[in-house]
Amino acid sequence: MSALRLLSSAAKRTPSALALQRRGYAEVSDKIKLSLVLPHQAIFTSADVVQVNIAAATGDMGILANHVPSIEPLRPGVVEVIESGNISKKWFASGGFANVHPGNKLTINVVEGAPLESFSPEAVRANLQEALRVAAGNGSEESKLEARIEADVYEALQHALGSK
Amino acid sequence: MFARQSVARVATQQAYRHGAAPQNARNMATLREIELRLKSVRNIEKITKSMKMIASTKLAKAQRAMNAGKQYGIANSEILDHTPSETPAKRQLFIVVSSDKGLCGGIHSSVSKATRRAIADTENPVDADSPIMVIGDKSKAQLARVLGKNLALTFNQIGRDIPTFADAAGVADLIVKSGVEYDSIAIVHNGFVSAISYEPTIVQVANEHTFKESPGFRAYEMEDDVTKDLAEFSLANAIYAALVEAHACEQSARRNAMDNASKNAKDMIGSLTMQYNRGRQAAITNELVDIITGAFSCLCLRLVDLD
Repeated sequence: MSALRLLSSAAKRTPSALALQRRGYAEVSDKIKLSLVLPHQAIFTSADVVQVNIAAATGDMGILANHVPSIEPLRPGVVEVIESGNISKKWFASGGFANVHPGNKLTINVVEGAPLESFSPEAVRANLQEALRVAAGNGSEESKLEARIEADVYEALQHALGSK
Repeated sequence: MFARQSVARVATQQAYRHGAAPQNARNMATLREIELRLKSVRNIEKITKSMKMIASTKLAKAQRAMNAGKQYGIANSEILDHTPSETPAKRQLFIVVSSDKGLCGGIHSSVSKATRRAIADTENPVDADSPIMVIGDKSKAQLARVLGKNLALTFNQIGRDIPTFADAAGVADLIVKSGVEYDSIAIVHNGFVSAISYEPTIVQVANEHTFKESPGFRAYEMEDDVTKDLAEFSLANAIYAALVEAHACEQSARRNAMDNASKNAKDMIGSLTMQYNRGRQAAITNELVDIITGAFSCLCLRLVDLD
């Protein structure tokens, strides 16, 4: 009799365990197909990832699976990709576009980028100083503007390295 | 009577000698000519061989760049695939991608022909005065002959080495600044099929206007209106992808062209060497015959004298 009760309780427990398992499985499959590409290197090509954090022009945002289609211009900043198993990788991107497409696809075209750990803070500081000097100097309007943009990128890079 | 005969014989002999001497001289001349040709063909073979080697090494690099560039282009064209235009474009801007250098088979004429076909196409008619912009001097020269009035802008000095994004951005910038009016953009470039073949492909790129017209585009959310930026950026991206692919095609075509040229030169060297040796042999035989005949006639004369 007690054995029977045990069995029935075990039988009662199984559906809930099954449901839990199914939910777990569904979570794992909730992935977005990411293509993160540079002109000279394809970092991700239609790879399944869990979450992508980008520095969009309108603010930082995280993109999960089944995001609404949208077009986001990027400002210089960190692109963080979280793969399954909470493995996260960070890249610094100088600018580009991140587009979420219908069909659970995310494409990020970046003009130039590199892993965050490959930057040297000293070089960033030196180049930032140089860019600021040119921006404040008396060159042509165009070169000053270019230097201003350059300085913005270095500042963003310095900020990203500081908060690593 | 006898004297007359001998005179006649002398005359014929002289005639014979007169005939023989130029023939002999011509023979020597041809031998020297063959020798000279052989030398120049050998030099050409050396040149084409080294050009082939250079193209082979460049091809490996170009192919690597193309693989990354292609992925970049695919990611870029994703949005274009989702926003097809409803109305066919009347006035198209053709951007023809080739390069400045020759000696690479039919790379340049392939894109020129594709452009001419696209303009003369009756199924998807475009304006006869659609503007054309050409990257590379070779296709420019070909298109200037037939569609000279359509040429709006030409670029050169691009594609000597592996194209960079800065090249593509510069081209896109000049196109946007040029103020040429168009409804949509078609990039004509050579698509890489395999290491030995390529075919012209046409890539459609939307501009700001076509983006806004397309119903697919309304599905996308945007905070600010960034359509213009997006259109310019995707144009630069598409040009970059086309440039690297065309560059890889050009290197592979050059490698094949130089490979064939070296083979032909080798064949030519073989047949010329054969001809040269035969000619030399013939000349030697001729000289031997002359000597022997001379010696024999001397002997005969002496025998007659002894008689």
